[in-house]
Amino acid sequence: MPTLAITAIGIDRPGIVAAVTRVLLDHGCNLEDTAMSILRGQFAMVLVVDAPAGTDAAALEAALGSETAELDLTASVRELHASAATATAEGSRWTVVVYGPDHPGIVHLVAARLAAANVNILDVTTRVTEGSATAGSLYSMVMEVLLPPGLEPDAVEAALTSGPEAEGLTCRLHPADADVL
Amino acid sequence: MPVRPVLQLPEPVLQRPTTPVDAIDDGVRALLDDLVDTMLASPACVGLAANQIGDGRRACVVDVTGHRKARSCHGLIVLVNPVIVATAGDELAREGCMSVPDLTGDVARATSVVVRGTDREGAEVEIEADAFEARALLHEVDHLDGMVFLDRVESHAAVFRRKVYR
Repeated sequence: MPTLAITAIGIDRPGIVAAVTRVLLDHGCNLEDTAMSILRGQFAMVLVVDAPAGTDAAALEAALGSETAELDLTASVRELHASAATATAEGSRWTVVVYGPDHPGIVHLVAARLAAANVNILDVTTRVTEGSATAGSLYSMVMEVLLPPGLEPDAVEAALTSGPEAEGLTCRLHPADADVL
Repeated sequence: MPVRPVLQLPEPVLQRPTTPVDAIDDGVRALLDDLVDTMLASPACVGLAANQIGDGRRACVVDVTGHRKARSCHGLIVLVNPVIVATAGDELAREGCMSVPDLTGDVARATSVVVRGTDREGAEVEIEADAFEARALLHEVDHLDGMVFLDRVESHAAVFRRKVYR
């Protein structure tokens, strides 16, 4: 049973999720994990689905395009190879909030420093505001991360804000581990 | 007094309100023993409701002893027919549940609570709890009302997978 990665994006309007999932259901696909959100007025979907044996990714991509033509979506279907991620990640969960004046390179700066500290990013959302007459745009990013054992959140905060490249950036870490009740 | 399997959604008994216990007898006490044994068998477990082990009677156990977020701590609490009689405060925290494996969610709950019920001998008890013990009691009473933490998640972005990789 092939596992497929499907993306679809198009100008937001009611009916996109219904139309895309109709096509997938008609082709016998079972939705596993999905993420969908509006990004700058575009509705963006990323889906991992289980498809029936013999499903052809290119044919499904073509069907998605033709059967949702009125929505003018940009869609892609790729087969995933499922052997990779079997390691168990250890560590503690934290929410990282970063904000500052908008300029190119903020996400890369933060992500590169997290990677250097062996911090695994689990979830990211970024938004930029329009700005006002007196202040420019504000860039904000909220992430969920996994800190490896022994790495203190204070050290991560310090690493994220050190040096002239991080000038103006504010970074905060909040615990995000769950209690099992 | 065996350790019983903890049932997981979509097991229907987890979404059915439990039935109040009429009279406490040896059968009810055996259920309470099983709840305690099953809770203690899981190191991270701080509470268990009867329908989590497939029993439709209104009874639960809670023990937050040693938990880092606990303030009030009554040790082992055994409650038959528990009812929340007062709550105060409001706090968001991330919960997981043995009956909802792999997922966690941010749930707003009262920070202090008064729960009334009876103990294993049928004597009326009233527990005043706060912080983590209050959250645990509210979580278990929710179970007895046929609810899991997913019924309380209000923010669209607040349900996460508990495990990162399998």
